[in-house]
Amino acid sequence: MTDYFIYTLISGAFVAIASGLIGSFLVLKKMTLMSDALSHVALPGIALGVIFKFEPIIGGLLFLFLSIILIWGIENKTKLATESITGVLFVTALAIGSILIEEHELLEAFFGNVENISSIQLLIQTIIAIVVIGIVTKNFKSLILASIAPDLTYSEKISRTKLELLLLVLIALTISIGIGFVGVLLMSALSIIPAVTARNLSKNLKMYIWWSVIIATLSLLGGIIISHLTQSINPGVATVLISTFFFLISLFGIRK
Amino acid sequence: MINHLFLKQVSTEEKNLVFKKISMEPKNKQPILTVEDLSLTIDGKKILKDISFSITPEEVLAIIGPNGSGKSMLLKTLVGIHTPTSGNFTWAPNTKVGYLPQRFQVDHYLPMTVEEFLSLKRNPEYSLSEVFSLVKIEKGWRTKNLAHLSSGQLQKILLAWAILDKPEILLFDEPMENVDIAGQESIYRLLHELQETLHVALVIVSHDLNLVYRYADQVLCLNQKMLCYGAPHDELTEHRIKELFDTHALFHHDHDKNHTH
Repeated sequence: MTDYFIYTLISGAFVAIASGLIGSFLVLKKMTLMSDALSHVALPGIALGVIFKFEPIIGGLLFLFLSIILIWGIENKTKLATESITGVLFVTALAIGSILIEEHELLEAFFGNVENISSIQLLIQTIIAIVVIGIVTKNFKSLILASIAPDLTYSEKISRTKLELLLLVLIALTISIGIGFVGVLLMSALSIIPAVTARNLSKNLKMYIWWSVIIATLSLLGGIIISHLTQSINPGVATVLISTFFFLISLFGIRK
Repeated sequence: MINHLFLKQVSTEEKNLVFKKISMEPKNKQPILTVEDLSLTIDGKKILKDISFSITPEEVLAIIGPNGSGKSMLLKTLVGIHTPTSGNFTWAPNTKVGYLPQRFQVDHYLPMTVEEFLSLKRNPEYSLSEVFSLVKIEKGWRTKNLAHLSSGQLQKILLAWAILDKPEILLFDEPMENVDIAGQESIYRLLHELQETLHVALVIVSHDLNLVYRYADQVLCLNQKMLCYGAPHDELTEHRIKELFDTHALFHHDHDKNHTH
């Protein structure tokens, strides 16, 4: 096992913990499809990174933030639902991204490629993941409240609109660090499937958050290891299949 | 028809009782909330127009008006969910507000216990068992899943939530759906008891004029604009109620058909 591989696993663990955490909010807030669509928005940014030879994660992050500001702005100005705006934005981004990226690189951007992640990207990913985990832990109660009962956030220190923006920013950060591993198309495997699985298994919030984090971590690390061992299976694909396997098992343990 | 029906339900004794209660109230208290010419327009639609009133400690204000008259929006504005288009409102410094929204929908799959929900409240001043006994729910509810509660039970949990930090005022929006008459009655009785034991001011939004006569010191009739404001027995004249509910009934709901509420 090389040092690089160990670093990949460590970075993967942090990214998975952040994804599992954020995923649990997405499921509570019923924003799963929105976040799935949002991950595609990163594609043109990744393309620019590839073309102009800078870290693709930076380009992805840039585009994610632009789209979040756009979504948030349009939503506050018009009556369109976030979902509809995201729908328009993500297909446009996917189309632009596909024009910009060469075919073999497109496949990597879609499904992720662990071998291609640079050490700098690993480091950036890990730092962002730690920041996301930190912010979520610090504002856990407010974020949960904003997800399940926005009307009750009136007595919080942070206003409701700011909490919603914070959640969007956290989603964008989490997507940006996950796509290196699992690609823009499969990002939801890392956040949504673990949270949905956790919901099947949990009778309270604490269990739910923990299961979500554990399943995300097991899926991603499992995906990276399988991809490494077989050298033919794509890590994103392996991660999706592992988390789906957990989901299927959870169907037998549904708690109401 | 509706006006006659409502008025018939209120006995003279009750009116006198209210009258006594009001005459005993000291009138020199500093208001904890002052609302001045508050207007709210959303997407070009006028929701509230020039609303002015004030609430002193321990006062009970009832806000009545037909559906769509802006009652819920007024409460939402007071807790900062909406920003007034013009005019303003001022809370006395350090006033803690407990707000019970009209709707609290719990996803039937939400994995959260009553205890976990109540622990989300910032700066609680009561312990869980204290608040449970205040809103009269059993200790066993602690580990119950929110998703398994009926709407009436959820309303009690919301009330527990609202009083957890010992607020000076409770804003109670009438639950819109799924709470049966008995449940409604018991939640209002509970509110009234809490108002007396905790000495909070209370703003209740309601359709029920009976309730207004029984509990409220002041009444505010709302139909986008303020049609009345004052003591219930002064303000709730037959004419006023007709004006308040009948104009709206044309658009909303035909009360001249053979049914009563």
